[in-house]
Amino acid sequence: MHVHRRERLVLLVFLIPSLLLLVVFLAVPALWAVYLSFTDRSLSGEQARHFSFIGLDNYLSLFQDPTFYQSLWLTLVFVFLSAIVGQFVLGLLAALLLNRKGLRGDALFSAAILMPLVVPETIAAYAWGSMLAPGSYGMANKLLGLIGLAPLDWLQQQPMAAIIIMNIWRGIAFAMIIFLAALQGISPEILEAAALDGAGAWQRLIYVTLPLLRYAILLYMLLTTIFTFGIFGLVYVLTAGGPGTETQILGIYIYQTSFRFFQLGYGSAAAVVTLLIALALGLFYVRALQTEGAT
Amino acid sequence: MIQAQQSVTQRSTKRVSRTRPGDVATYLVLAALSLFCLIPFAWLFEGAFDPKASLYLQLPSRLTLDNFERAFNQSGALTLLVNSLIMALGAVVIVVICASLAGYTLSRLQFRGKRALMYGILLAQLIPVTATIVPIYSIFIALHLVDTYQGMILILATYQLPLALWIMKSFFDAVPPEIEEAAWTDGAGRFRAIYAIIVPLALPGVSAAALFTFINAWGEFTLPLILLSSQDKLPLSLGIYRSFQAYYLVDYGQLTAMSLLYMAPSLLFFLVTRRYLTRVTVVGATAG
Repeated sequence: MHVHRRERLVLLVFLIPSLLLLVVFLAVPALWAVYLSFTDRSLSGEQARHFSFIGLDNYLSLFQDPTFYQSLWLTLVFVFLSAIVGQFVLGLLAALLLNRKGLRGDALFSAAILMPLVVPETIAAYAWGSMLAPGSYGMANKLLGLIGLAPLDWLQQQPMAAIIIMNIWRGIAFAMIIFLAALQGISPEILEAAALDGAGAWQRLIYVTLPLLRYAILLYMLLTTIFTFGIFGLVYVLTAGGPGTETQILGIYIYQTSFRFFQLGYGSAAAVVTLLIALALGLFYVRALQTEGAT
Repeated sequence: MIQAQQSVTQRSTKRVSRTRPGDVATYLVLAALSLFCLIPFAWLFEGAFDPKASLYLQLPSRLTLDNFERAFNQSGALTLLVNSLIMALGAVVIVVICASLAGYTLSRLQFRGKRALMYGILLAQLIPVTATIVPIYSIFIALHLVDTYQGMILILATYQLPLALWIMKSFFDAVPPEIEEAAWTDGAGRFRAIYAIIVPLALPGVSAAALFTFINAWGEFTLPLILLSSQDKLPLSLGIYRSFQAYYLVDYGQLTAMSLLYMAPSLLFFLVTRRYLTRVTVVGATAG
């Protein structure tokens, strides 16, 4: 569409407020995190104002710190079991079932599945605090009782399982939305043709539907990994990283070192590691979008 | 299109009349998933009205509103509610203004580096708060924004801006430029045409962006945890957390009552936005 030179200038000015916010509060902080990670700045006291450049020291100590490795490992386990396996399998299952023709009550089912994602994360954490409460009155323990198992003190004995189950519960809906949209893009003729050729339901799923979903699956995997790496509040409110450091995922590690132990420089080094992971996966994701957009 | 719809309805009416072998299993699995998703909420709804609320889901002996009364009288729920509203609505105003302006330009104007800018915005949406919170704290100290409403509003808006920009661009893209051009030939200038024609047509986009911003800002926990300190400025997310972290013996009636109060707008939003939810998520996830 034709644009006059003067209009062009006004339209470019329209971009300024947004760019200003994104630069000042997103781009600058991301770069500043890299800078801080090379200093010994602390949150308070003398070193808050007079800090010095210490090169790679923060990274060297970070990679010698067993609690950092532990936290990196816990984060990987958390991402893999809750997002890559749990949310993916249940979300895809929900999408496949809700996509069946002639299903009644699909609006009710999807509303129920969306609820955990819609409420604030602190609410989700409180709800699971009650679900996983110790003793035989806790809901999770009642379920264990039904299959004849002894009650657990979940947050003390199985804290990782606790936060993984909670996060699966919260994220089924995201996978469901992505896959339902992708499934609705598959023309029924393809599946009907496969059925006419004698393919059973399982064969249609494995050889027709899933290959057609591979792009949606790739995007979902990248996004959910990035989002799950960044989780903080959900887990912090339920366990505060404990008992000890048993659920101290990366977000909590950064918070503890920076704002509890006041080592801003050191905390920033851990933040930069998170940032690099997010950006690397993010660039891969943008590339995937571009290549798929081209075909 | 109409033909396709007809054939779908025909197919589905035909299928409803007879039960397929997988149907029972389908309903059972969906019911189990729904139950798994809903059960954790039961305690919040029960405890809020139970005079003897505990950490466990139980049958209440009678129902009461006392828990809500105590939440307002003892825990300052009203202040928390007002703070949450100020911050979330403030963020909505800023995001709607910024994203409408920039969204229009991104939709209509071709300029060098636009593609890179769009993907940069998409990437910005993926940066976790935890990765930038330390420098944000430093910037807030430098700009004297720590513990202020203005600071919270700006930072909440920034974090919602990338998604809102994509939403607005996609809604403007859906308005054909021909409609605008027709208005110009009728003698209206570009900016008059935007006001008279584009704004009404893009209104669903604005409301989608506004609702998503509101609800994400409303639920934010990490940013206020680090950037606010005065008790009288805390939003609900943090106020509830702080008041129940402080006591050894928790008043579960109050905790659940305040939680219901806090999640009510989210549920309301959910009812309003169900029709946008899929589209916005897909726009945010697949860039179109």
